[in-house]
Amino acid sequence: MENPYRTVYEWKERTGKKVVGCYPMWLPEELVHAAGLLPVVVWRSDEPVTVGHAYVQTFNCGLTRSFVDDAVRGKLNFIDGFVIYRTCLQAQELPFILERHVRPAYLEYLYLPAIFPGNATKDFLIEELERFKASLEKFAGREISDDDLRRSIEIYNENRRLLRRFYEFRRKNPGILRAREVMAVVWSSMLVPKEEHSSWLRELLSELEGRHEELLKERRVKGDLKVVLTGALCQTPQFEILDMIEDLGMVVVDDDLYVGYKYFANDVELDGRRPLEALADRYLRRKPTCPTKGDWEMNWTDEVVDMVKRNDADGVISLLIKFCPPHLCYYPDIKRGLVQAGIPEVMIEVEHEIVSLEGVRTRLQSFAEALRRGA
Amino acid sequence: MVEKKRYKLNRLETTRLIGPLVDRHWAELREAKERGEKVAWCSGPLFIFPYAMGMKCHFMAGYAAYCAGRKAGDQVLEAAEADGELMDTCSYHRLHTGMAAAILRGHPVKKEVILPIPDLLIIGRLCTEMAHYAEALHRRLGIPVVAVDFPPPRRKEDLPRLERFVVRQIKENLIPTLEKVCGKEFDEEGLRRILRVLKEAATIRNQCWEFFKLKPTPWTLWDYGVSIAPVFYMMGKPETVPYYKALLCELKERAEKKIPAADGEKYRLYWDGWLPWAFLGMFIRKFVSYGAVPICGRYPWEFFPHPEYIDPDADDVVQNWVELYYTKAQQAAVFMPEGALEEVTKLVEEYSIDGLVMFASRTCRAWNVGQQEIINEVERRLGVPGVVIEADMVDSRMVSEAQIETRLQALFETIDARRRRE
Repeated sequence: MENPYRTVYEWKERTGKKVVGCYPMWLPEELVHAAGLLPVVVWRSDEPVTVGHAYVQTFNCGLTRSFVDDAVRGKLNFIDGFVIYRTCLQAQELPFILERHVRPAYLEYLYLPAIFPGNATKDFLIEELERFKASLEKFAGREISDDDLRRSIEIYNENRRLLRRFYEFRRKNPGILRAREVMAVVWSSMLVPKEEHSSWLRELLSELEGRHEELLKERRVKGDLKVVLTGALCQTPQFEILDMIEDLGMVVVDDDLYVGYKYFANDVELDGRRPLEALADRYLRRKPTCPTKGDWEMNWTDEVVDMVKRNDADGVISLLIKFCPPHLCYYPDIKRGLVQAGIPEVMIEVEHEIVSLEGVRTRLQSFAEALRRGA
Repeated sequence: MVEKKRYKLNRLETTRLIGPLVDRHWAELREAKERGEKVAWCSGPLFIFPYAMGMKCHFMAGYAAYCAGRKAGDQVLEAAEADGELMDTCSYHRLHTGMAAAILRGHPVKKEVILPIPDLLIIGRLCTEMAHYAEALHRRLGIPVVAVDFPPPRRKEDLPRLERFVVRQIKENLIPTLEKVCGKEFDEEGLRRILRVLKEAATIRNQCWEFFKLKPTPWTLWDYGVSIAPVFYMMGKPETVPYYKALLCELKERAEKKIPAADGEKYRLYWDGWLPWAFLGMFIRKFVSYGAVPICGRYPWEFFPHPEYIDPDADDVVQNWVELYYTKAQQAAVFMPEGALEEVTKLVEEYSIDGLVMFASRTCRAWNVGQQEIINEVERRLGVPGVVIEADMVDSRMVSEAQIETRLQALFETIDARRRRE
């Protein structure tokens, strides 16, 4: 995962197929796949934003700024198409920038609705997915039959099942896998064809599960504390932060991150239904909690508390992407809820351009010490 | 170096009348529960529906302007932060959670900005963050919520289906909830009554707006901003029409006597984004000191630029209301950069604008999307330059006078340089 641009570009060169960049977090990639295209989830670059700041505000999140920077610098020109939806306000300007600076062969903006109660939401969502399907068919030059879509859904579900098995392995065998490795496995699934990823992941799991006792003896993460990660919507945090957590003696046993559990938590339940309707139902599911979906009844805190209990974890590290309004607006309630539940928590603000990691280290160090003192 | 003088600002007399009207609105809202009236807090363009039911309402941004007017903004924001809110969170959101914190945990804030806990929170999700404040208040106060997704359209062909979606949500979710909360059938005639008054008020307001075309302009966008309540949260009240009539009368008189808003008008500015509620005075003093006048902006203009489409006698009056935002007046389009660019271009041409000031609020991004690219494109199309000012509409810690001064000087120098070349 050192160079996602190269990973995707090389695949495209090798296969001669077209690539469609999908904006996180809840686009039904299966539809893109069923059209014979490669859906990739767009990512945050590891370079500082430069030219992009002439087109996007400095106080947007790292993903939107970095994505715009890549767009105006021509780094995304090899991607054939983009699908954006209204994840948050900041995503609304991306088609405007892409249309003017990347001019992709295909650009779609979807109005995936907030998951408010009532039939109007589901009907509109299905109408929107029908429209998306038709526009993909036009771009790909082929029809997407229900069977095509069912096949793609099964391929995606299989990948999700394997990723859940991978997470289960981490839960049961803390310390074998580094947090950055776990994240790289999930992230790679967003960038390469699911069929290839699943095949590779099956081999990896087979090796891990076969050797787990031996691997446990030589645990690479030798921490005495178990922590879970929450937050980091839409994008990866810096791997250095994950390393730092472990270097300070904390073993990451679980997470609900987007480049993590959120991405593969739910399958698309076909159950004999029209596949498009099944895709809509996955989108409308309220768990795992996602604060971008507008569900006022959601209780993210309870899910975090459950995750702590399930893993017998010592504490929670909230990874809050700097300038991420959906998370910002929810965070005080998580903090309050965890205090009430007696669960220690620390919040790390994840900036795109980290001037110094020392501030992060200090916070994490204090947190680890507090956990050891049983605070 | 641009010239800085003590230009004189000629204040309008009529705008002095707005204070008592606004005060009455907020006093009625504060006292509503004591009178046994139902109260709703609203975001997005939906408060007309609870109004039709006789509920007392407040609107998210209107409350910010009110707090700013009472010089209580920073105090309420402090209460929010004491309760765990983070500084990067939308100021409008923090003002409401701050007020909730003041009520729940006794953080000290001025009494007049404490509103009664509502019976209902209404989300009109024109901006995604308009939903978050209601979610947070629901979690903290347990108030029921009803929500309507209100997606701004990217393209004209999207308008009909978005309109159908919004109409359905209003009819299937919002109206039945209002009926349940109020314990009575939806008052369609009440809605028509409000629309009749609104149509008249907005029509006169548009006649006032035409005076921005005069050179020099007899009034400023700030005058317009403080006059917004009659087509906004005071919508439908009978006193709104006489207010705009009086304003129109004064503007006619000024035009006849050639009284400008500011003596020595030198730069006619387009202002983009929220009006800086807590800093209106600071900004206008800065502008006027350079002979600059804010003339128009897409934010206040979004309020019913086409009253001709308001039809109080329409067969389907709910449909008519939503058409104002979608297929007919297309008011929701300016929330997307594509629609904003067209609107800004039109305003710059029609109002002889010399420069753009894009006010980028650091915490509420509803108007920020695409601002820089809009500057680039307007420059290409019309040769009119622009600058971005990063600040906040309420939070004083995010407002740097030095930065504002520097950016404004840069803008005026650019305009001067171009004038010299012409």
